Amino acid sequence: MGCSSSVPDRSAGRIGGINPDNGGVVDAKNLKVKLVLLGDSGVGKSCIVLRFVRGQFDPTSKVTVGASFLSQTIALQDSSTVKFEIWDTAGQERYAALAPLYYRGAAVAVVVYDITSPESFSKAQYWVKELQKHGSPDIVMALVGNKADLHERREVPAQDGIDYAEKNGMFFIETSAKTADNINQLFEEIAKRLPRPSPS
Amino acid sequence: MLLSLLSKRSLNDDSRDAYGFTVRPQHIHRYREYANIYKEEEEERLQKWKTFLEQQVGSTSAHEFNEANTRDVVSEVTKQSNDPAETVSGESDDSNEPARNETVSGESEKRSDNDTEEEGIIPNKEAPVTTQHAKSLEVQTWAKISPSLDSIEQMLSTRVKKRKNMEGKTVKHGHNDLPAIDEAKSESEDADDDDDDKDEMDSVNASEVEISASDKMYPEPFFPRREELEFLVRGGVPKELRGEVWQAFVGVRTRRVETYYQDLLATKDDDASGGQEHDKYDLPEKWRKQIEKDLPRTFPGHPALNEKGRNSLRRVLSAYARHNPSVGYCQAMNFFAGLLLLMMPEENAFWTLVGIIDDYFEDYFSQEMIESQVDQLVFEDLMRERFPKLVNHLDYLGVEVAWICGPWFLSIFVNMLPWESVLRVWDVILFEGNRVMLFRTALALMDLYGPAVVTTKDAGDAITLFQTLAGSTFDSSQLVLTACMGFLTITEDRLQELREKHRPAILAAAEERAKGGRVFKDPKGLATKLYSFKHDPESIVKENKTETDKIDKMTNLDSHGANLDEILNGITVDSEVDSLPDLQEQVVWLKVELCSLLEEKRSAVLRAEELEAALMEMVTEDNRRELTARVEQLEQEVAELRQALADKREGEKAMLQVLMKVEQEQRVTEEARRFAEQDAAAQRYTVHILEEKYEKATASLTQLEKRAVMAESMLEATLQYESGQSKALSSPRLGRLESPRDMPIKKTGLLSFGLGWRDKNKGKPSNDGAPPDAETNGPQQ
Ligand SMILES: Nc1nc2c(ncn2[C@@H]2O[C@H](COP(=O)(O)OP(=O)(O)OP(=O)(O)O)[C@@H](O)[C@H]2O)c(=O)[nH]1
Ligand SMILES: [Mg+2]
Repeated sequence: MGCSSSVPDRSAGRIGGINPDNGGVVDAKNLKVKLVLLGDSGVGKSCIVLRFVRGQFDPTSKVTVGASFLSQTIALQDSSTVKFEIWDTAGQERYAALAPLYYRGAAVAVVVYDITSPESFSKAQYWVKELQKHGSPDIVMALVGNKADLHERREVPAQDGIDYAEKNGMFFIETSAKTADNINQLFEEIAKRLPRPSPS
Repeated sequence: MLLSLLSKRSLNDDSRDAYGFTVRPQHIHRYREYANIYKEEEEERLQKWKTFLEQQVGSTSAHEFNEANTRDVVSEVTKQSNDPAETVSGESDDSNEPARNETVSGESEKRSDNDTEEEGIIPNKEAPVTTQHAKSLEVQTWAKISPSLDSIEQMLSTRVKKRKNMEGKTVKHGHNDLPAIDEAKSESEDADDDDDDKDEMDSVNASEVEISASDKMYPEPFFPRREELEFLVRGGVPKELRGEVWQAFVGVRTRRVETYYQDLLATKDDDASGGQEHDKYDLPEKWRKQIEKDLPRTFPGHPALNEKGRNSLRRVLSAYARHNPSVGYCQAMNFFAGLLLLMMPEENAFWTLVGIIDDYFEDYFSQEMIESQVDQLVFEDLMRERFPKLVNHLDYLGVEVAWICGPWFLSIFVNMLPWESVLRVWDVILFEGNRVMLFRTALALMDLYGPAVVTTKDAGDAITLFQTLAGSTFDSSQLVLTACMGFLTITEDRLQELREKHRPAILAAAEERAKGGRVFKDPKGLATKLYSFKHDPESIVKENKTETDKIDKMTNLDSHGANLDEILNGITVDSEVDSLPDLQEQVVWLKVELCSLLEEKRSAVLRAEELEAALMEMVTEDNRRELTARVEQLEQEVAELRQALADKREGEKAMLQVLMKVEQEQRVTEEARRFAEQDAAAQRYTVHILEEKYEKATASLTQLEKRAVMAESMLEATLQYESGQSKALSSPRLGRLESPRDMPIKKTGLLSFGLGWRDKNKGKPSNDGAPPDAETNGPQQ
């Protein structure tokens, strides 16, 4: 838990607190966004974050109690940077009561399900609805089918994910925290979709 | 008691702490530093506890213990400490009651029939009977705690709310078979007798409410050494005693109902379990599944949580879920149960967990998690009161206090602090039997790390810093002392009061959630709404907030007012809202009201004092800021001067260089001049020499000329003489001149010149004396 961003963004300061409600844009070149991960317990939210931030996969990750925070900065091809402030939430249903605390004001929501579990897919749909109702109106949402490495045990066809994401204006990707497949792509694609402040 | 089953070696792994937990790599160094301190502290506190328990037994033995017990305590304590040095005092007492010692230290896996043996000694109403089947089990299911802790347990167990109808339940299930439990493999079925179970539990809860209402103000029995014990607890419970002491604190024996645990684990219907050995405990599917998901993610890699440990954990969690369906299974409980299992036998762990979740954290982990949300609001209140500067900063950064403290509270600091600190905090929590220590510890952490966090300029940095710093709180004694001594005004009464204030808002929100659609359309969301409830209108006016904020809150209050009443009416516990028909009741109510007003006044005074202190701090801060500005200015000047000096030096150096160059050039020209002079001198010298030579040459030339003239004249004279000779006699003078010398001259002119030269040189030294012939001769001519 106690881990800072691998690329501490010192230049991003002052403005962060003034507009925490829209993800804290620092300037046109350096964005700072609050991202929240939602999804059923055990779908691999924590593993995705750990893979993205520390580049590791720990098959015996710890149960997330409440929520945990990590941050990571990525550089895009146009030499701009995006600092993700990631809230990894607890997946058990009853913790959903606490979720608004974390998704409120988030610029990005990543809704994760496990491709081997249809149940987790319907849970993902619940989260999408909840976000549409109570999240920031301009929130960028991504639907992620995790554990893509377990394709022989797949129970949620990729097409289902694609269709649902399209219907709800979301970005869709299948990932594997285990093999690192598409993990970086997930965050890069999100970064590209962020609304940029028009340089004025 | 899994921990004691571990070999010492597996705990000696470098990356694990004394409890078998992995230490994060970034903390290993600090952990090692503190490991020695822990060890010293441990020795010291073991000694203190030993003395205390001995005296305890001594003072109560008159009516409760026989003499053997007194001696026994010593042996127990020493037996449990693994320190070889300590065993000396154990002496031969071990032989007194070997069976008990075995139980106490938990070193044997198999149960012996010690329980029956102890019956006579322990003055407890429930006579423990060893369940026959337990013998065949590998896992030790129940062990009585050592009698030396009896008085402690008795004192504290008065606060235990006993669920009366549990006994009824045990009667209902007559099974004596604890099933062999393995991985639950099949994922389907079950959930059929849900309703049955719920009914049962509803009745449990109903009766519980009645009981808890009456013993809300549990009368503390007379316990003369409570303060001493409190002091000891704050200093930490010795590792070896911790498992048992915790059980005594929680009142496990009072809670325990014989065979209840086994019954919970037994299949509901033996006949139906044809081939379905694994689908047991008729547990709702969702909990069973969640437990399965979480088993491998509970202290992953801990050596004690091997397959056997996992099975114990599964049983404890499943049993609890069945025991209290209003909670069922909630993530976080896996860690608590896991922790307890490391320190005590399985069934003891179950009862301890029951005590913690049912009582200390009642409604905390239940389906709606009401109390945990209430506590967050309460804590934020306390934060604003205690650390206004820090909260302001967090507000400015857009960081919510609950983001940081929510996980602390929900996990009771497990995985949030280093283990030694977690256990020390748990010592106090379990002793006090409420959540006061939870608040105090969180406030202590704020106290310790607030100053560092105030310097952050970014929300992410602030949160990360809190996580990191909390994770490195190795100084457990400092933490516990700060918590216990620094926040004495945080009392259970105070917390209850604040909870009452905040609970309605949370209940309202939960209600809305349950209805499906939440009313909160406000983009600011739930928590902002909740925040509005925290301040009644009067206090809003007092609050130092912006106008818009105020209005926001007022309207929120209005819009939810109706809703609120509805809910409040539904709560029977809330006495304030009920109509008060009875006069007597009114008096009581007024008394309560008065008390709470007095309390309020007291807290207002306190707050005033605190504000004053804060003001002072701000003033000094201001001065400091001024001074800092001055210092900065001066520093600036110094820097400027330094720069100027440096510039000057630079100029000087440049000039020096120019000078040096000029000098160099001068030297070069000088050199050249000297050379030229030398040259000139040499030339002058040669000129001089040449001149001399020239003079000499000219001199000799003139002489030669003279000579030549003389020779000529002589020649003439000779010629004249000769001619005179031949003609006549010439003058006598001429005759005298005529000498034999004349002969050679006659010969050649050249020869005469050479002779003349030689003569001249011969004649020189005697120049002064007699003039040379030639000269004397010359003028004569
Ligand atoms: N095969 C495979 N397993 C994965 C993958 N990601 C996660 N897992 C496994 O799934 C388990 C659960 O992952 P977590 O990241 O802890 O799940 P979570 O969503 O954070 O769960 P909660 O904290 O309970 O909400 C882990 O123990 C991993 O072993 C993946 O990409 N492939
Ligand atoms: Mg997680």
